Order: sequence, then C-alpha cells, then structure tokens
Amino acid sequence: MSLFIILAIGAGLLVGLSRQLNGRLALSTNAWESSFWNHIVGLAFVSLIALLASSLFDDGLFGGAPLDAPWWAFLGGPIGVLFIAAGSWAINRIGAAQTAMLIIAGQMISGVAIDIAMGVQGQLWARALGVALILGGMWVTRTAKAKG
Amino acid sequence: MSTDNPPRFIHYLGAFAAGGLITLMLLTNGTLAQYGTLLFSSWVPHLTGTVLAILILLTLRPTRAASKRPPLWAYLGGVSGGLTVVATSAAMNSALALSGTIALGLAGQIVFSLFADAKGLFEMAQRMPGWRDFAGLALITAGALILIFYGSAP
Repeated sequence: MSLFIILAIGAGLLVGLSRQLNGRLALSTNAWESSFWNHIVGLAFVSLIALLASSLFDDGLFGGAPLDAPWWAFLGGPIGVLFIAAGSWAINRIGAAQTAMLIIAGQMISGVAIDIAMGVQGQLWARALGVALILGGMWVTRTAKAKG
Repeated sequence: MSTDNPPRFIHYLGAFAAGGLITLMLLTNGTLAQYGTLLFSSWVPHLTGTVLAILILLTLRPTRAASKRPPLWAYLGGVSGGLTVVATSAAMNSALALSGTIALGLAGQIVFSLFADAKGLFEMAQRMPGWRDFAGLALITAGALILIFYGSAP
C-alpha cells in the first residue's frame, strides 16, 4: 500500500517536474515549441515502454479493441498540445505555484460542470462548498498579486 | 516573449482554462483506455499531439525567445510526462482508487511547485511564496478534496 502512496505522490511530483522543464524550454524557445518537444519526446518514451512491455505481456500496445472507441476519444492529443503550451506560457509569468493552483482550480470546477452536464449524480452541498472554497482561494491569491 | 511582464488577468485566466483542458483529456484518454490498453491511451495522444504541434509550428513559425540554445535536459519534460502515466495507472489500480490517486497527486504537485518557486528551480525566476499564496493553496486544496471525495455519489 505504501508503495502505491509513493507512486501517487510521485505522479504529482512528475507533473510539476514536467511543467518546470517545459517552462524552462519555453524560456529559451517559445510555448509552442516547448509543447512540440514535450509530445515528440514523450511519444518516443512511451513507444520504448510499449516495446519493453510487449516483450513481457502478450497484448502490448494494441491490445483490446481500440478502434471501436468513439472518434472524439482520439482528440486528447490536440487538446494536450494546447494544454502544455498554456502551462509553459503561464509558469514563466505567474510562477509554478500559482500556475499549479489555477490549473487545479480549473480542472476541479470544469469537472463539476461536466458532471452536471452529463447527469452524474452528486451531493449538492459538496459541489457547492468545494467550488466556493476554490473560488475563494483564487480570489485570495489574485488580490495578493494585484498589490504587488 | 518577454518574461519581465507583471502578472495580468489573462495569465491567470489562461492557467485556469488549461485546467479545464485536463478535464477534457481525462474524458478522451479515459475513454480510449476503456477500449484499448493504458499505454495505447497515452501513445495515441502523444502521436496526434506531435502531428498537430508540427502543423502549428509550420503555420505560426514562432521565433525563439533567446538566441542561446536551451540546455539539453530542458527537452526531457516529455519523459517526465510519460512516467506520470505509468505511476498514475499503477496507483489507480490499487486500494487508493481514482480519488485517492488524484488527491495524493495534487499534494505532490503543490509541494513540487512551492519548492520550485522558492529555489528558482532549473534557472527559472525565483519567487518566495507569501502567506496569501499559502492561504489560497489551503482553500483550493480543501475545495478540491471535498470535490474528490464527496463530489459524486458512489
């Protein structure tokens, strides 16, 4: 169990590390180029893992019935290009901590919106309180920067 | 692309909107993973993303911000991103489940970002987080935890 806790926290650290590296790359190049390198290096890396994994397991990369997936499920890549570019752009302007907290805020609030739009059952008090706390947190940080 | 500009509303809005993109990616990549393998659900977006990024670079032809080449290690963000997929999928399939994995991931992300700002990690601008940053983080974390653990009925 503790191994999985370390893995889950580690995943978060890796997200921060990735954004810091991409941000550093954008500092010398630009946000779009940073997003390009992130994707092509990531593609090479995931392909390598897939090659290694397919020698261990039978179904490797193309197991299951991936082509049965709806067409829109293949649009994650283009969205990711925009996401990495936006992160690389923001981190050099408002810093790593504020970028992280605003991305988290955006993820959480849009998640609630999508859940409601798709009719996912949820507890109203939790949704209202959660969104209110997040908006309050954004407001507190925002006023900090307005003064200085 | 100057980095000396003071923060403006558009920067905050951009980062907030980027968070919305994660929700969309969870939907697209999560759906792919239901039909294919987990690796496939990471491999496809990297492939289609690379194609789109090339098209964007060819169309917009953005200039480099500095004439000095970036250090080679700055190109490794994609490796870290790829490892994230592996670590997340392993943790998600344990007793932590999706909610626990996301919550702990947020914690890791926040700790890393505070450390990175305080140190000016990787030659980036150093920013000492103030008490308002910590207050904002505490509120956002609390709100996120409530949404993760109580937001949707089981």
